[in-house]
Amino acid sequence: MKQNIHEYLAELEDIPGTRIYTAARARKGYWINQFAMSLMKGDNRERFKANERAYLDEWKISEEAKQALLARDYNTLLDLGGNVYFLSKLFSTDGLSFAEAVSTMTEYSFPEYRDMMLKGGRSPEGNRSIKGGY
Amino acid sequence: MAKITAGVGSSHVPLLGVAVDQGKWQDDYFGPIFAGYEWTREWEKAEKPDVVILVYNDHASAFDANIIPTFAIGCGESYKPADEGWGPRNVPDVEGHADLAWHIAQSLILDEFDMTIINEMDVDHGLTVPMSMMFGQPEKWPCKVVPLAVNVVTYPVPSGNRCWALGEAIARAVESFPEDLNVQIWGTGGMSHQLQGPRAGLLNREWDNKFLDALEADNDDVRHIPHIEYLRETGSEGIEMVMWLIMRGALGQKVKRLHRHYHIPCSNTAIGHIVLAPA
Repeated sequence: MKQNIHEYLAELEDIPGTRIYTAARARKGYWINQFAMSLMKGDNRERFKANERAYLDEWKISEEAKQALLARDYNTLLDLGGNVYFLSKLFSTDGLSFAEAVSTMTEYSFPEYRDMMLKGGRSPEGNRSIKGGY
Repeated sequence: MAKITAGVGSSHVPLLGVAVDQGKWQDDYFGPIFAGYEWTREWEKAEKPDVVILVYNDHASAFDANIIPTFAIGCGESYKPADEGWGPRNVPDVEGHADLAWHIAQSLILDEFDMTIINEMDVDHGLTVPMSMMFGQPEKWPCKVVPLAVNVVTYPVPSGNRCWALGEAIARAVESFPEDLNVQIWGTGGMSHQLQGPRAGLLNREWDNKFLDALEADNDDVRHIPHIEYLRETGSEGIEMVMWLIMRGALGQKVKRLHRHYHIPCSNTAIGHIVLAPA
């Protein structure tokens, strides 16, 4: 059953519209995620809200990632190694529900996204594999 | 002698906790979800488990990006609900069973499962939402809990096969505990959902139900599903279903299904729930 790590990791990149949180992403996004984690403390949330840029400047985060955080550009943050469970601390700091924040990563507005979910969600059909197209 | 008498599988969507805490569980949106747990709430009142081994994942609450244990067991006396950014849930503290937990931890390590041991931690919705679903809103939880946290966030996460084998080892450990205890094991998380990227919102009713069928089967084929199949078919967060295999592995080869429930959607997620007993 043991799988070759290179083959295993290559497969994980073959899913459309998805960034699996691999070790490579975890390393790249370490400080993005640790910054987000710091927002679990009320005092930090207040300091961040008072001056987002100044709070971000306390962290070893690239300028690109800081811009993405300020813009709440979650797809770019996933590319830069952010993980949704860490980024969710920023959702709640902004007072957004998980579903609303998640909808911003899709092609839909929040009401459209909610409607899609009520109708059974996004179909896996055609969404399983980039290479295979199934 | 302690014995595992039943296994429960359930989603642990945080919005379900919000529904309970804000009294919305009978409205049009949540009513059909909670109706599927009524049977279980009555059954739990009759079963009166002494301890639940509660398999869940931490969602960047107790563990940050620094330390990533694959399998971690809570051996503490009690655990507080975590502040996940909205303030802690107003639910009772979770009482541990340190004697049983340490016994399981030591037994597992001798059985070659190299566990991480946790003495102090807060527990997030992954653990407290299933408690609310199964027990409602008591002033004090009716049983003790051994938390078992699994890394299903940073890859590679443990294989389904390894999770099943861990379940088998947990059952052996419980059976060698001298005190008479009625122990349940719960596997939580899932079912299909994806919380990230342009593919977010993916759900797969058909695959989820095949997975539930496989849990009821008299064989262990389900342990061999590779990660990539969960990810392609059920979304990036559907991988949480490997945690249900720890529960299933602990029940032995044959099981009897006592209850099953499935509902789409709850927020971003498909709700699945199953109650199994060793046959």
